[in-house]
Amino acid sequence: MSDSTLLVALAGQPNCGKSTVFNMLTGARQHVANYPGVTVEKKTGSFTHNGAKVSLVDLPGTYSLTSYSLEERVARDFLLEKHPGLVINVVDASNLKRNLYLTLQLLEMEVPLLLNLNMMDVAERREQVIDIDALSRVLGVTVVPTVGKKSSGREGLYAGVLEAISRNKNESTQYRVMYGELEPYIEKTAERLAELPRFEPAYPLRWLAIKLLENDERALKILSNHIGAKAEEFLSWVDEQREQFTQSKNLTVDRHIAFSRHRAANEISRKAVAQPAERRKSLSDQADTYVCNRVTGPVILIAILLLLYQVSIVWGGELAAWVWPVWGGLEDFVAANLPAEGFWQDPLLRSLGLWVAKSLTAILNYLPIFFLLFALIAILEDSGYMPRMAFILDRMFRRFGLHGQSTLPLILGGVYVGGCAIPGVMATKAIPDERARLATILTVPLMNCLAKVPLYLILISAYFSEQAGLAMFFIATVTLFMALPIAKLLSLTVLRGYESAPFIMEMPPYHLPTLGGVLRRAIERISLFVRKIVTVVAAVAVIIFVLIQFPVVSGERLAYYDKQEQTAVSKFMKAVDKTSLAGQLTESDVMGLINFQSDLKQAKRGVKDKAKAAAINAQFEQANPMYWSIVKRKGKNGKALNKALKKVSKTRKKLRRQARTERFESSFLGKLGHAIEPVTQYAGFTWRINIALLSAFAAKENAAATIGSIYGIEDGKTVQDSMKEGESGFTPLHALALMLFMALYPPCIPTTIMVRMQSGSTKWMLFGVIYPILLGLGVATLVYSGGSALGLNGFEVMWVFYGLCVIATLIMGAIPDKALSHSQPKPQPKTQPVNNAG
Amino acid sequence: MKKLMIALALMLFVTSTAQAHSPLCDCFDNGDDTITCEGGFSDGSSANGVKIHVLDAAGKALLEGKMNEDSEFTFNKPAVDYTVVFDAGEGHSVEVNGKDIVE
Repeated sequence: MSDSTLLVALAGQPNCGKSTVFNMLTGARQHVANYPGVTVEKKTGSFTHNGAKVSLVDLPGTYSLTSYSLEERVARDFLLEKHPGLVINVVDASNLKRNLYLTLQLLEMEVPLLLNLNMMDVAERREQVIDIDALSRVLGVTVVPTVGKKSSGREGLYAGVLEAISRNKNESTQYRVMYGELEPYIEKTAERLAELPRFEPAYPLRWLAIKLLENDERALKILSNHIGAKAEEFLSWVDEQREQFTQSKNLTVDRHIAFSRHRAANEISRKAVAQPAERRKSLSDQADTYVCNRVTGPVILIAILLLLYQVSIVWGGELAAWVWPVWGGLEDFVAANLPAEGFWQDPLLRSLGLWVAKSLTAILNYLPIFFLLFALIAILEDSGYMPRMAFILDRMFRRFGLHGQSTLPLILGGVYVGGCAIPGVMATKAIPDERARLATILTVPLMNCLAKVPLYLILISAYFSEQAGLAMFFIATVTLFMALPIAKLLSLTVLRGYESAPFIMEMPPYHLPTLGGVLRRAIERISLFVRKIVTVVAAVAVIIFVLIQFPVVSGERLAYYDKQEQTAVSKFMKAVDKTSLAGQLTESDVMGLINFQSDLKQAKRGVKDKAKAAAINAQFEQANPMYWSIVKRKGKNGKALNKALKKVSKTRKKLRRQARTERFESSFLGKLGHAIEPVTQYAGFTWRINIALLSAFAAKENAAATIGSIYGIEDGKTVQDSMKEGESGFTPLHALALMLFMALYPPCIPTTIMVRMQSGSTKWMLFGVIYPILLGLGVATLVYSGGSALGLNGFEVMWVFYGLCVIATLIMGAIPDKALSHSQPKPQPKTQPVNNAG
Repeated sequence: MKKLMIALALMLFVTSTAQAHSPLCDCFDNGDDTITCEGGFSDGSSANGVKIHVLDAAGKALLEGKMNEDSEFTFNKPAVDYTVVFDAGEGHSVEVNGKDIVE
């Protein structure tokens, strides 16, 4: 950055239209990166006005500037360390009082400020009249009104920026919050701070004093970094001051500060805004007496969750089936552009290409479900229900080390049946409480994602068919009773050191979501999901491909398959020799015929119209009349050879199946499955099941597919039947152990990578993989070995285990947590920010 | 909290199970008065053993069978109007109208 470029920061609370203002100022010239060392997004852009070059940095949207959340810390550190020449504070003009809460803190940091009253149109619609001059006079800063959505007020904002830069050279005119009875303490502390050597960078001393009295962690760190060992004495003096104030006022310092700021914001907004009769708010208030009620609240919540489930999972599933031809077409397109199939084994490039395509379509198939889910969630968010839902559940989640805002990730992950851990983990980004955020990231994969369901269904219909409904209910709900105690256990142990934050969420008045808004958000989320997932899944698919394809089948077996191929082809040729086509067809035509037949089938897939079918037929007949006559049984030769072709096709399919199973079992993954059998036998898992579970790590749906391919070998039997026979002595107890292991099973690789991205740490990613393996193995062993020892059957053990999980949940929920007790949400007036810390 | 849990459990109990992978079924007229249906699932799972019902217009079963190890089912083309049902369990079935199966 050249010296003449001015650094300007854009600050504001969430939902104030900050990004529209950012776009309005910078146009398309922007750049997105992360703030150093953290996962918070940093957007920068630039613009030139009247010869002044400005570099604009978009700070994370925050309600406040405490040390509680990562976003707040990032925003604050930027202001303290980078000393922007100007901070444009974007506020929602229709919610001035709430937005001023942040403004006052910015002023306290003594940054040169410009107040941008955005969303003026909304304020007008709500019949609020804002006296801009009065506001500017009281705050002592330039105030510029805009409607970012319509890019109106851009020129005014440019001019305001230039004016503010010159004006703010004299900072003393800016408003400052007075803290009444705390003032003497602040002064004393600031005086003592002034006696210390000069701070570098220069922190505003009044701000630092207030923060120290608030017991703000970052402020304490700033001080101890500055004066080292002497800080201890200073801090214990501050502790005394704080104690003294608390004793005399019977109110903690941070509460007093928060109240003072609210009072000041209230006063300023009263001076500057003429409110209309508040009919709308009172309606919201009335609704909240039911929605946030302790009895009706949960009932409404569950009804909404059920609706969410019905629409997204049940109807979305039907929609997914309807959309499938698109993905199927994608697979066919890939298949058509790869080298042709061989007799019993395909060229490596073809296998790899198809494997990758299949891995992608398996996930893309869920897109309709997620689109509906994201749209519904956008409706919940835009209508104002989501924060209330989080508020209701916060009471319960807190007991387990989670957070009100863990609600969305857990729903996405599949609280009941049907979800996906990938968007679930992605959604944890919004949780401000670092400890609860990690606990959520680590427990979302324990939910019932869509891909775990096929295995559940196979096992239930094979082993619990008479109690299928109850068994499904068991597995669908037991996961929550396992996840909650685990979350608590994690936060009491490995996550103990992490910071916890109170529940801070805006309770906006209810309003009707717009179709455009909901669609835009759903599309945004789905495209983010697709962009993140496609590359990850493709990369992972290649790795898994290597693990299940290599080492290749050995020379002796290779010869066996080649000989089988030769025999089958010769048989066909013998049949050819008996017809008049003898000499015209050679051995290489066998594959030609097989491919011709499958191409024809492919072309006619989904064709329901007779004329269209006839056209396709004509096209194929013209392309190769001889193949056509055989495939379609035309003439004497055709009839005879069609039979032979069927035989050779059948043999080929059988050989391919055999080879696939053999390849799989002798692959790296297969060998690993054998190697760990001594350990897993106590959980009732044989090497075959180990292989299925190992391949499920690539993507969960593989477990069902793999079990299918391993067991689906014998003629005319279901996978369930083959499984019953293939594993002699495989009982419902085995099945239960397997189901529970699957429920706790480590996240699939794409999720694991998402965990790495969201936690920003390889350590947590590895932990997130290893703890569920050990836990799952432990639970499966407990269920299998314990159940066997007690002589109980699978169904009995199921409910004993369920009882244990419920008891564990109640016990863990009752264990007090010191770090959490201070941050229990405090009830606040409705339609006010639940903003209980400053 | 307990109330919430109990209510949650009770209400979830009444809902049906979810679709996990989409069932697929395509039928082809072989031209020799037989029909072959190919089944499968969108995630590549085998349809081996999945039940197949061939129903007449009144919904009465003309014939029943299961998908073979190649996820195929071949049957003689009925003389009357018929519907093929690929029945992989609740929420996992596909119906193909016989009229839509063309040669």
